[in-house]
Amino acid sequence: MKLKQFRLAVAMAAAALTAAGAASAASAPSVIKIGTLYAGSGNFAVASQAQYKGLQFWAKRVNAEGGVYVKAFNKKIPVKIVAYDDQSSTSTATTLYNQLITQDKVDLVVSDFGSVLTSVAIPLAKEHKMLLIDPTGSSAGFFKEKTDYLADVSIPSSAVWPMPLAKFLEQEHIKKIGIIYGSNDFDGSQADTLKAEFKKIGVTPVFDHAVPTGERNYTVLLHSAAAAHPQALIELGYLPNDVAFLKSLKSSGLHFPFVFTIFPGQFKQLMEKNVGADALKYTYSYPAPPMIKYEKVNLGMNTDQFVTAWGKTHKGAEPNFVNAGGYNAGILMAKAMGTSPKFTQLGMHQALLDMSGKITTVVGAYKLSPTGAQLGQRLPIAQFQPQKDGSLKTVVVYPDSHKTGNAIYPSPAG
Amino acid sequence: MRESWFKRARAGLITAAVLALVFSLAPNVYNNSSLLFMMMTYIVLSQGLNLLYGFTGYLPFGYVGFFGTGAYATALLVMKLHLPIGLAIAAGPIASMIVALVLGPLLRLSGAYFSIANLAASQILFIVIGNPNLQDITGGPYGVKIDEVYNPTASYAAMVVLVVVVTLIATFFRRSRFGQGLKAMADDPVSAEMSAIPVVRMRLLAWLTSAAVAGLAGALYAWNLSVFYPDAVFTLEISVFAIVFALFGGVGTVLGPIIGAGLLYALYNAIGISEPQYFQLIYGVLIVGLVMFLPEGILSLLTRRGINVF
Repeated sequence: MKLKQFRLAVAMAAAALTAAGAASAASAPSVIKIGTLYAGSGNFAVASQAQYKGLQFWAKRVNAEGGVYVKAFNKKIPVKIVAYDDQSSTSTATTLYNQLITQDKVDLVVSDFGSVLTSVAIPLAKEHKMLLIDPTGSSAGFFKEKTDYLADVSIPSSAVWPMPLAKFLEQEHIKKIGIIYGSNDFDGSQADTLKAEFKKIGVTPVFDHAVPTGERNYTVLLHSAAAAHPQALIELGYLPNDVAFLKSLKSSGLHFPFVFTIFPGQFKQLMEKNVGADALKYTYSYPAPPMIKYEKVNLGMNTDQFVTAWGKTHKGAEPNFVNAGGYNAGILMAKAMGTSPKFTQLGMHQALLDMSGKITTVVGAYKLSPTGAQLGQRLPIAQFQPQKDGSLKTVVVYPDSHKTGNAIYPSPAG
Repeated sequence: MRESWFKRARAGLITAAVLALVFSLAPNVYNNSSLLFMMMTYIVLSQGLNLLYGFTGYLPFGYVGFFGTGAYATALLVMKLHLPIGLAIAAGPIASMIVALVLGPLLRLSGAYFSIANLAASQILFIVIGNPNLQDITGGPYGVKIDEVYNPTASYAAMVVLVVVVTLIATFFRRSRFGQGLKAMADDPVSAEMSAIPVVRMRLLAWLTSAAVAGLAGALYAWNLSVFYPDAVFTLEISVFAIVFALFGGVGTVLGPIIGAGLLYALYNAIGISEPQYFQLIYGVLIVGLVMFLPEGILSLLTRRGINVF
């Protein structure tokens, strides 16, 4: 009798376990919906589409392998990207982020490129208790208090970007510095950091000028800057600003011993195409992956693998940093889904926090703070040095840990 | 004998009631409240622009300047003085009216000169607000953040009330002696003045009312958004949309801007959501077609047939 009861109990337990397993499988979604926005036009179009392509690249690869492994369901589930065009408009982005959350009911939201288009998603994500994966929104203002609904995954806060630049200028004993920067959060916070760092060593910029973000002609400003005879001229702008600045510099015939701009280090090919290799000669920038290489990674592809794989799916084209940023957002989301025991927003946020300090990816070390800020992935300083065949070699000049050559300073005229 | 006030305002009251009902119930059917909120914002802005352009003939290309001023006044009062949100919102239209008073001499210009000068004024406001040297006062290029008062539900309800109020103001303009005086001025200011219509005072009143409407819309927008940069509230796209929506519906009427903003903004989002790759092409062709074939707005289809449009 006892044996019979025992057998019955075992049978019932097995049935219950099977039923629970079936219920778990049944509750697993058929696809993981990742919602995102991109700018098909407007100020952020180039960079935004690059980020979107990086995310698509990740989704295509993961789907080719049967989908992303979701620990909570113990199975691989295909990924579907739901994307809308916000045209670089914050008001359009607001309605579209809400559309992704309330109508499409996406499982995760990835914000569009940059701080401006990310800013409107932050209160919405908080309101709807959705984790916002932020690949490139780097405004320091986003990360002032602890949050469970924001994670900056692919670039550090813009306020810390110019720290290596300030250190390098100090190391080179360059004290007469001119700064031209865009009147926006991204550029303004970098200018503030630079000025604060200079102040510590008793340096006051000899030329300090803010320009509207839409500025496209720097000729007059360059002549004004030249009148102050700076040893280094630093232009902090978005990609269209950098293109306009370098074009104006080339056509003005002026020469500065040291010129720095932000985006050639992220979009070298595009910049060479738009301003010509000649205009980039001896200029400095933040060299971002894949321009600098991370060979030892423990999540996703390393730099060389990424470049090769990207070339295969994009007709031999080379990826840029923002492509890598989009891809990086994808692999980190996948890792979070693969390690979180619960398929919830809080569970995935905790998984992203748990990975902090333990992961190196194609864009470098990943360190996430409780406020959602990215503390890893610092960008070094590089100079574009001309070669005999007319090409430009990217030489990392600072810090020593990344250094591949010495800076040529002052840059030769002509 | 003049009609009673109620009889004259009846159409406006019905329109306002319908709008209040539609936007109060809409979130239960379609819960993208941001889209509904933006639609109301554009209805208010189109109507506010209509109060000026539709009744005086002054087309303010820089109308967004008042909107941005209202948004910034509210945000800064919350951030710097920690005022309760209600008071900060009330300050939005006041700040816009102060700016409108300062810009009052622009009304001496007419036609394209006024429009361009107004556009320049809005850009000056944008540049001043976003100036890095004013960072301690305006936040400069770093924008503003008032997430401590963020309340999407309450700001949505407040915008519903504003839609109703603006509809009633437009009704007053359409059905009152004041509005008729404005229209007479727009047609022939010299004759209007000779008929004892206080042209300067009435024009200034319309200008201030229009500015206050945009300022209040900006204040509520700031409350609803809570984190924004100067570009977000001073972008010329807002002026362009308000003008296009008002013209599409038909200016000088009450229903025109409501229909224009409601239909076009819904279409704008429908295309943007369903066919994002064709968005600009479809929307552009549509607007060109409308300007070519319905320059007086969609309501002109009715007026051409002798139907009196409210």
